[in-house]
Amino acid sequence: MAPVISLLFIDYAIIAGYILVMVFVGYSLRRYMRTGEDFFLAGRSLPGWITGLAFLSANLGALEVIGMVANSAKYGIVTVHFYWIGAIPAMIFLGIFMMPFYYGSKVKTVPEYLKLRYNEATRGLNAISFAVMTVLMSGVSLYAMALLFEHMLGWSLTASILFAAVVVLLYVFWGGLSSSIYNEVIQFFLIWLGLLPVVFLGLKSAGGFSGLAQKLPEAFLHAWKNLGSSAESPLGVSWVGVVMGLGFVLSFGYWTTDFLVVQRALASKNLTAARATPILASFPKILIPILVVIPGLVAVAVLPEFSKTAPPGAEYNSALILMMSRFLPNGVLGLAITALLASFMSGMAGNVTAFNTVWTYDIYASYIKKGQKDEHYLRVGKITTVAGVLISIGTAYIVKQFPNLMDFVQLIFSFFNAPLFATFLLGMFWRGATPWGGFIGLLSGILAAAGHYILYKAGALHYASEMGANFYQAWWAWLTDFVVTIAVSLFTVKKDPKSLAGLVYGLTPLTKETVKLWLRPEVWGSLALVVMLVLNIIFW
Amino acid sequence: MKEEKAEPKKGHFLDLKIPLGVLLNFYGVALILYGLLSGKEVYARSMGINVNLIWGVIILAVGVALLLAVWRKRPARDSGKS
Repeated sequence: MAPVISLLFIDYAIIAGYILVMVFVGYSLRRYMRTGEDFFLAGRSLPGWITGLAFLSANLGALEVIGMVANSAKYGIVTVHFYWIGAIPAMIFLGIFMMPFYYGSKVKTVPEYLKLRYNEATRGLNAISFAVMTVLMSGVSLYAMALLFEHMLGWSLTASILFAAVVVLLYVFWGGLSSSIYNEVIQFFLIWLGLLPVVFLGLKSAGGFSGLAQKLPEAFLHAWKNLGSSAESPLGVSWVGVVMGLGFVLSFGYWTTDFLVVQRALASKNLTAARATPILASFPKILIPILVVIPGLVAVAVLPEFSKTAPPGAEYNSALILMMSRFLPNGVLGLAITALLASFMSGMAGNVTAFNTVWTYDIYASYIKKGQKDEHYLRVGKITTVAGVLISIGTAYIVKQFPNLMDFVQLIFSFFNAPLFATFLLGMFWRGATPWGGFIGLLSGILAAAGHYILYKAGALHYASEMGANFYQAWWAWLTDFVVTIAVSLFTVKKDPKSLAGLVYGLTPLTKETVKLWLRPEVWGSLALVVMLVLNIIFW
Repeated sequence: MKEEKAEPKKGHFLDLKIPLGVLLNFYGVALILYGLLSGKEVYARSMGINVNLIWGVIILAVGVALLLAVWRKRPARDSGKS
């Protein structure tokens, strides 16, 4: 297949500029990496705006941008649910209620919290499943990138994979989490600068917002109106499924317990900055639909292959690329390509850094070689970075088997993350949860997710869509974990309350914010919720 | 969990605004130059709008603002405050 886009010298110069700056950033961070904490947690030194933008960008990777433009072209404005109800409440909850326990207890990783709150077994279960999941995700990023560049520019799949892997390896090896976070912030700027021209030109061509609305089917213009039942909903999921499955379980499971995002907040310089991290991130998060939903809608309105009269079977994942090739002249085109490249590479770097931290602290230092010097673990972290990149390359070829990348991610999340949120919720807010209650609850939740998936695939359970199946699977996994944890806790030995100080609500002194009222996370968090609510009403 | 508890002095990492500012200045200048030198036919896709020139100016402004912010903070950093 001939490439969709041809680049000129100016575009290559723009791509090269980004690569050079990233390698330079990694190289200049190299000399700051003296201790394990410098490498794995950026020395807990970063201001809230940096960790906040990184927190957001960590989730703005390959799958997000391409997959959500595809969703928007396929389903319309309902795609905003992945950004609003499917993200904002969880982010605010993390910042206001959970961060005092995460940051305040000075844990280095999410599994480490589970060890302190529950027991070694719970930590092991989470650490191992997380390590597997991040490596899969890293491979997803890498494969998605290579496939895109092959289709779009005609670059060889293997060359793209190896090139991106080497660049990511270099800067993560040198700068650890700091490199990853810096890349994510740069990516945040690039994604706006790279994609806004598509949005403006696309809207202009469609005749502005009103012209666009006229060219789209009525169902595309509403976020909630058509979600009365799963039969009539474009997603095949009713509003109950959206609110409980996506808005509650999947979203809270992902944003509040996934170490990849939580690690950004742990790199903050103090508790206020840590709490502000997800809350500052929530404002740009609310605006991301401008970049992903509008291009998807315009694609339906102006590109013949996605119009409603076109024959079925449109390749929705190519919607963004076709929009770019349709509207962007060389120059800004190179910038948009760079934005995508940056979001792929930072997605991979984020996974590699989360993987090396969990592997080094929660698996290597806990089960393989305990009580070594800090330098030893720093070295292990660097070796793990190399190993993580190599495994990602292998995973990239495995991921080829899965047809829809976004559904694949949802599937993985619902196996591991959805039940985990129940374990955290009970662990942080109910002192009665016991170590074995936590472990058996978490294991049951994961098994429930797997069991549900098997029943669904075997045809014993029916849903109107794959997405509906994923949402409900997450819900049942969460509920199983929640109920089993409580039930087992009633019959097993509790932990000494003294050992839970700083980890559980009620046994921890309440956070006293000393900053001015208008700077407090609670105030900004409430504001974000109000903005989200108003937008949901406007796009009802 | 007191906020103001004196934290140990933390290593001052590379200020991110510097590489970001340099990158955006480069992008701004490159797009402006290309926008001025490229012919009209390049902009058939963008409905005749010289989007490189317009967008280059905006990116340059962001880049310059970032470097200015670094430059203004300089005295504070020299006196040892991060």
